[in-house]
Amino acid sequence: MVDDVRRLSDELARDPGSRVFVPLGEALRKQGQLDLALKVTLRGLERHPHFPDGHDLLARVWVDRNELLRAFDEWDMVLRLSPGHVSALRGMGFVSYQLNRLPEAEQYLSAALEAGDDDEGVRAALANVRAAQGLPAAANDPVSGEPVLPHGTAHDSRFLFSDVLSDPEQTALLLDREGLVLAGAYIGYDGRDLAQEVGAELSGVTDAARRATRHLELGDWTSIVFETEVAVVAMSPSANDGLLVLATSRATPLGLVRRLLDRCLERAQKWLGGRY
Amino acid sequence: MASPFAPVLDSLTRQRGVTAALVVSERDGIAIDSNLQIGQSADRLAALAAFLYRKARLSAEAAGMGAVSFLQLEAPAGRICAVGGGSLVLVVVAESSVNVGLVRVELLRAVNALRAAGGTDGDA
Repeated sequence: MVDDVRRLSDELARDPGSRVFVPLGEALRKQGQLDLALKVTLRGLERHPHFPDGHDLLARVWVDRNELLRAFDEWDMVLRLSPGHVSALRGMGFVSYQLNRLPEAEQYLSAALEAGDDDEGVRAALANVRAAQGLPAAANDPVSGEPVLPHGTAHDSRFLFSDVLSDPEQTALLLDREGLVLAGAYIGYDGRDLAQEVGAELSGVTDAARRATRHLELGDWTSIVFETEVAVVAMSPSANDGLLVLATSRATPLGLVRRLLDRCLERAQKWLGGRY
Repeated sequence: MASPFAPVLDSLTRQRGVTAALVVSERDGIAIDSNLQIGQSADRLAALAAFLYRKARLSAEAAGMGAVSFLQLEAPAGRICAVGGGSLVLVVVAESSVNVGLVRVELLRAVNALRAAGGTDGDA
């Protein structure tokens, strides 16, 4: 990927007016170089202000920077330039879902499918949105069973658990051993993603839990559950000393919390297995 | 002379399946008082339990989820339960077969006694 960035950078340097800023920005985004990706994308859009894929890339950069409302607005611009743009419909659907705007989420996800989006994650997310609103499942909604890993999560890991969770008030995060976010999101009431803050505070939990249970000869720990005034948070160890965190409302029965934690863990392991 | 926490700890360790109970300072992880079985060491458990509870509290604050009331760590051969009372944490070690619902109720009930006996509501 480093070679890709170098090659694309050279190409853009040779021809600053080309549209190669999109694959270059995408490569930088995937590397986590968000400031640079943003800079490249904004410069490219100065030259190509009506290029839908450029605005689509900018929206995905905003998502990675936890700016969901900006991402939504950018995808809205994409739709004005290119009605029926599948990536924009899908993105607006997932952002609406994360912001708990269920009717909008249903509208955009449905439109994405009608526009030809074959992402299983979109189909599953639509089923969850409809279920959360008490609406009957569409005929082509997926049936429950073996979860299908949405291929869209390959570049939008924030949505890795979207179709596993059964309620918009539920959220899940996958953290590495340092407490850095690998996947998932925690959307606060203001629409901001608090995942990094929550992850930072939970760094070291896996190690401390392991040491505590080994000290007491209880075996390796399997879960930590804590209750707060408004939520129940469940955690489980994941691969490579990582930590899976699931937050639900206090109304969620504990048995369901455990079931959701298991499903999220299964999803995380599958994703990590494909990633490494 | 018995510590002011002794009645709270005695009440908890009388529960079937509970093998240890401690009062710990959340800030520095030091065991203030404990009821342990022979062979158990309070210091390391106190430090680790306080750390876990503090992490839970700070993450809940970061997420705007309010105060943490009850924490439970599960392992194949037992569990660690904790509740916070001001700057103190009440920690229980129990067998896996323990009635965790009962332990939870007893711990939450004991928090008030913990506060009355010396826990403060200050920032931990």
